[in-house]
Amino acid sequence: MSELMDKICLCIERGKVDKKAPYPPDMMNQDGADEYAREAIKAGESPDNILAACNTAMERIGDKFSRNEVFVPELLMAARAMNGVMEHLKPFFQAGNIKTKGTFVLGTVAGDLHDIGKNLVSMVVEGNGWKVVDLGVDVKTDKFLKAIEEHPGCAVGLSALLTTTMANMAATVKRIKELHADTVVIVGGAPLSHKAAKEMGADGYAANPQETVRILNSLVG
Amino acid sequence: MTDQQWNNLLAIIRGETLDARPSGFVIDCPWLPNWYGVNILDYFSNDEIWLEANLKAIREFPDTLFLPGFWSEFGMCTEPSAFGARCSFPANEFPHAHKVIHSAEEIDSLEVPNPATDGLLPLVLNRLRLAEPKIKAAGHEIRFAVARGPLNIASYLMGSTEFLMAMMMTPDRAHRLMRVITDFLNAWIDLQMKTFPTIDGIFLLDDIIGFIGDTEFRTFGLPYFKELYDKDVSVKFLHNDAPCRVSAPYLPEIGVNLFNMGFEVNLNELKEVTGNRVTMLGNIPPRDVLASATPDEVEQATRALVESLDDPSRVIFSCGGGMPPGVSSENVQAFLRGLK
Repeated sequence: MSELMDKICLCIERGKVDKKAPYPPDMMNQDGADEYAREAIKAGESPDNILAACNTAMERIGDKFSRNEVFVPELLMAARAMNGVMEHLKPFFQAGNIKTKGTFVLGTVAGDLHDIGKNLVSMVVEGNGWKVVDLGVDVKTDKFLKAIEEHPGCAVGLSALLTTTMANMAATVKRIKELHADTVVIVGGAPLSHKAAKEMGADGYAANPQETVRILNSLVG
Repeated sequence: MTDQQWNNLLAIIRGETLDARPSGFVIDCPWLPNWYGVNILDYFSNDEIWLEANLKAIREFPDTLFLPGFWSEFGMCTEPSAFGARCSFPANEFPHAHKVIHSAEEIDSLEVPNPATDGLLPLVLNRLRLAEPKIKAAGHEIRFAVARGPLNIASYLMGSTEFLMAMMMTPDRAHRLMRVITDFLNAWIDLQMKTFPTIDGIFLLDDIIGFIGDTEFRTFGLPYFKELYDKDVSVKFLHNDAPCRVSAPYLPEIGVNLFNMGFEVNLNELKEVTGNRVTMLGNIPPRDVLASATPDEVEQATRALVESLDDPSRVIFSCGGGMPPGVSSENVQAFLRGLK
């Protein structure tokens, strides 16, 4: 990895968004992911390499998260730094110069306004090269169904934090499977478990963003 | 809780051993309406139904501690409503509050609500006031001042992601938000205590504690929780069924002496990190076991929990977190059998 790629990777892993960002305190007034991404593109660095640096950084922070070495705020900051890099890569995606692995439709189920888990998954999955269609929070079943029709072949992720919205999740999974049996549905969130996921008919249960990535990547070999 | 139950609770917290293994559950709207056989909106909007559902619970399980007991609430809307949050009450679903703060800058103009007049809080208090004679007639008293915790309320007002990011990117504003909410909570708890002199406990519920690391907890959690629990009451009760390994060692410093945790943490480990100074209320799996398993499986899981303890003092047997929807009376009875 080139020096610039190393810097992008480090900024994402540490959550250093841009030069003016006060976080992390020990990198105050230093360039961040935004500046280095701009510099890399200007220097003619391949967009695929920049995306690979994003993947590496998100894998590193994701692994730390899995080991309880960092927590949600650090992961959110890393994802935000990565989003800054992705903004620079958008034109390359739009021009077809970078191929995405597939489309992942994601939302927090009806009645649940919690967005932490959903946002983390969205950011990490996107950083891993997937196109993410984020439907937001309190998403009714019909909205998931419409998104599936608009994005043929997509995988779907359902998030819930509240015990009380698990019933809504189960109803949404059931309806998706009735109408789109081949669509892969992954569920996640605090009240879930492998057992609960299986009972509601989901194809997979992800306890954290990294597991979502692993399941998704297994779909594309 | 009856006087006897309250005295038992205090004895357990002091580390005394009772003749029978104690059981207790946090019960509120996720469990009571469905268990009582009414729809959720009726439970919230009809004070008589709310009271009867609670009375039925204490009559059916007279030997179990129900915490906080006769919890007057409107789900997650209770405290956010005082800040002006739009509250949605879908038919027979749990209510939720919408964001009030849409950018960190808006924190600057946030005012401390008046709990005596704002949002749903007057309704919460008045429901309890009207019900108090019947609660007393049933031999029970109102024992706890109850509120969602400050991090939890902040995440409702601002959005969890936005609030957690504000901690990192605009820490001064995050502190200001915590200050406003803590001032409000102090006033809200004081008002409950003044209205009901029988209150001798504080119960805060805050799952956002579980999402942050040590530095953030010490910065944005610890000082505010210490302040809120710094009141002259006998029971200082905290619920956090999200991860708790970071915050648990601080529970004694906060002043908490009763803790309801998630099911994924081992009670022996928790007792060790808290120096066995905190009574644990837990922690068989609430959904996969207490709600979904057969009575035999519930009984076995309960026995396994009892047998797993190195030291049974300062433990009240329960599920991890509050009583989830769908727990049948049969499974509660099986749980109680497992303690015998």
